[in-house]
Amino acid sequence: MKPHNLGIIGVGQTTYVTRRDDVTLPELAREAAATALEDAGIEFKDIDGVVFSLALDALEGIEGGEKWCAEALGGYGKPFLRVHTGGAAGGSAVHTGFFHIASGHFNCVLVVGSEKMGETPDAQSVLNQIFDPIYERELAINAVNMCSFQAVRHMKKYGTSEYHMALVAVRSRKNALNNPYAHIKKEVTVDDVLNSKMICYPLKLYDCCPRSTGSCAVVLASESFIKKIRKKKVAWIKGVASCTNSYYMGDRMNGSCINDYADSEALFLAAKKAYNMAGINNPNREIDVAEIYAPFTSTELAAVEALGFCEKGESGICNEKGIFEMDGEIPVNPSGGVLTANPISATALARVAEAALQVIEKAGERQVRKVGTAVATGEGGSLQFYTVTVLSNKI
Amino acid sequence: MKVAIIGVGQTSYGEHKKKSIDELVFESTQKALYDSGLQRDEIESVVTTGSDGLDGRAISNMITAGSSGAYLKDEVKVSDGGIYGLVMGYLRVASGLFDNSLIVSWTKSTESSPELVSNMAYDPFFLRDCGFNSVTSLAIEASAYVNIAKVKENDAADVVLKNRRNATRNHLSHLSGSPSKRAIISSNFVSYPIRKGHLPPKSDGACALVMASEKKAKSLDKYPAWILGLGWSRGEYEAGGGDSNKLFSLGKSSKMAYKMAKIKNPVDEIDVAEVSDITAYHEMMIYEALGFCGYGEGKELINDGVTKFGGKLPVNPSGGILSSNPIFASSLVRVAEAALQVMGHAGKRQVNNAEVALAHGFTAMSTQGSCVVILGN
Amino acid sequence: MEGDQIFVTQHWDIKYNHAAGETGSTFFKAIMDKKVILGKKCPKCKRILLPPRSFCERCFVETSEWVNVGKEGKIEAFTIVYEKFEGLPNPPYAIAYVLLDGASTAIANFVKGIDLKDINQALNHIKVGAKARVAFKRKREGRITDFWYEII
Ligand SMILES: [Zn+2]
Repeated sequence: MKPHNLGIIGVGQTTYVTRRDDVTLPELAREAAATALEDAGIEFKDIDGVVFSLALDALEGIEGGEKWCAEALGGYGKPFLRVHTGGAAGGSAVHTGFFHIASGHFNCVLVVGSEKMGETPDAQSVLNQIFDPIYERELAINAVNMCSFQAVRHMKKYGTSEYHMALVAVRSRKNALNNPYAHIKKEVTVDDVLNSKMICYPLKLYDCCPRSTGSCAVVLASESFIKKIRKKKVAWIKGVASCTNSYYMGDRMNGSCINDYADSEALFLAAKKAYNMAGINNPNREIDVAEIYAPFTSTELAAVEALGFCEKGESGICNEKGIFEMDGEIPVNPSGGVLTANPISATALARVAEAALQVIEKAGERQVRKVGTAVATGEGGSLQFYTVTVLSNKI
Repeated sequence: MKVAIIGVGQTSYGEHKKKSIDELVFESTQKALYDSGLQRDEIESVVTTGSDGLDGRAISNMITAGSSGAYLKDEVKVSDGGIYGLVMGYLRVASGLFDNSLIVSWTKSTESSPELVSNMAYDPFFLRDCGFNSVTSLAIEASAYVNIAKVKENDAADVVLKNRRNATRNHLSHLSGSPSKRAIISSNFVSYPIRKGHLPPKSDGACALVMASEKKAKSLDKYPAWILGLGWSRGEYEAGGGDSNKLFSLGKSSKMAYKMAKIKNPVDEIDVAEVSDITAYHEMMIYEALGFCGYGEGKELINDGVTKFGGKLPVNPSGGILSSNPIFASSLVRVAEAALQVMGHAGKRQVNNAEVALAHGFTAMSTQGSCVVILGN
Repeated sequence: MEGDQIFVTQHWDIKYNHAAGETGSTFFKAIMDKKVILGKKCPKCKRILLPPRSFCERCFVETSEWVNVGKEGKIEAFTIVYEKFEGLPNPPYAIAYVLLDGASTAIANFVKGIDLKDINQALNHIKVGAKARVAFKRKREGRITDFWYEII
């Protein structure tokens, strides 16, 4: 059986900032939801179901905050699900919305992510709590050093340098100047990055994402619903896949092992499946723009390789050549990406939202020329959960 | 597309001191795979459901990815409760993208304090500081019920006795046997009108199911449990409203499920039900919200023996949550037990001629969210 | 209160008693009583797993055989932390994944005995591929911090 066709018909984002003291978590969630519905030209009553992306409860300080948010999102009396795959939750939420409609049981689903981590003093102390309490939590592992481990392996395996990582930061921050929703809007030079404060070797301050507050929402609709409301600009969802790796980072660290921690193997497998579903044979040629979940510069280097934009180990050189710049062969993160805004529960959803805006050519100043196909990714856990979503302007 | 449950795996329920959380999960997953006849390699999709707060892990499906069979598979975690894992699995298979899906849910209730964790589920401004948690919020619903529907202590005790007696036929059950009615009625109030004897135990355990597409299910030499109907819905976050004992979200979700399953008269068309008896009073409220009887008439179904083992519509032949409560997994256990009934694999607790079964679960502290599944053979 | 805005401070303080399980308990007891590191071998793929596991997630079978792995090995990944994170140790400190001789997977712990104040000096010693050995705490209590790594 072929899944029913569906696409994104509305996108809503708040501006991402450090804190929002004027709203509660549900009020924040509702902002993006209302904007997305307005963008789609429909109302809360037109929605058949809601999918809520909410990552770490402890970041909000509320156990299962979806309970508090359900009514604000029009969930009263309606099917409502919360998904949580850490940072990948937004990607998982889009996929869940996809399955609702592809199954033929739903016509219009609202997908929302909302993050208010500005209220906890230090996100990394919470992120330490994701690690196994018996073997790893006491070792002070958190999201920064978890990615440092990948960075040092990538450096050793392929000769990648801190300079290559700095190039990613420079490009992301330059792109973010074109994005009205970005949190960090300050350009930096390669030297600024290299001289910024060391956080967890080899990651320095400007290699790292900020912690952001904000929400994002997309409206998914079936082909028949889209015809009924006569929506013209649609980002059709052509490919969805996710892949979960081992929790154990150390299982992916052994000189001879496949599935090496340096390489984001699960992203590679998810991309392969999503490309296959979307009929993409040569990602390098067929994908016009990518929005990648990469909270650290080194994460993006491994990701572009896993996505097939270049060979393994060549991401550093490709960055030197400018392949991922706005005017390059495959512009990566025209929004500025996660390095310039990371509202965790909404981040992977924002990647899909930004990719959708590119596909329907409503990305404003950050619009890439001639976009037919875009890819968006999500990443969560111990570089463990990956989601890949392929969007197209053709059904 | 039709979707079926083709395998069920459960650990026993109780205190599991010798097993870590992922070891419990592994046991249930391995049993479900064995029951389905599929190998892990053949699994295309995995859905996990666990509570980070109860597990003490900020993304608890990280550690359970391996034990739930998700290594290098398409996996997602649903955070609303076990039965919502079934919803997710259904949608994934029904989309045509996956031929099968493994659903796994777990809780080690004895490793933390569910009452304290559930207090953290309340908003930090209005409810958390007022002592709301998993027990007090249910007590508020129950007190409205006791007062408006004139339910007696005796009725609540009879619900407990029915389910504990049923549990004697379930070798996996945490509690079983018959406490004396006097012991229940004289047990301490935990939160009025709920007494200690009206509440479930705190159990450790895991439950797993294997679901498959129609094509796959028919290709196996099996008696699958077909999913005939599915409904899920949310109600109000705050439990205070006068109508809260009418379980709005359950009424909504049962209507959705009955419509899909084309059920017009649930009492006549459903042969057995496994519902989330999170308190003795709630089992009676559930009968009413499911349309088994009118408002306030739940006690009569108990008094008349309609829902006892051997009655017209047996409810919780497994012993229900009042006998085993691996909190997050409890609602998936309802589906597993209902599936065993229609498959004819329920052993000593098998209800005769069980062709259509209903499974029900709640999510959130009070009964804010509900899910209803109708299974048939 | 800040201006007209009300802020309500809340803390989470929930105690958890995490069961390490029989497999985990055997591993910690061997460290406490005998100062040995035990891995568990998968009967199918033959990987020797550290931390030890009672099942192999790839082959989906139970493991049963304990294997005494070496107390020396090679750093597979590391970091040196220079930022103070709330609730976590005072920097600087180093964490490394070490593939102990005979094991198939790397296990994490702190690296001690190197002056971390000057990062360039520290990086001369702590690097991917560098050899490290296990050192044990004198008073061991059944936690992962009962041992750490030292650079050889
Ligand atoms: Zn193996």
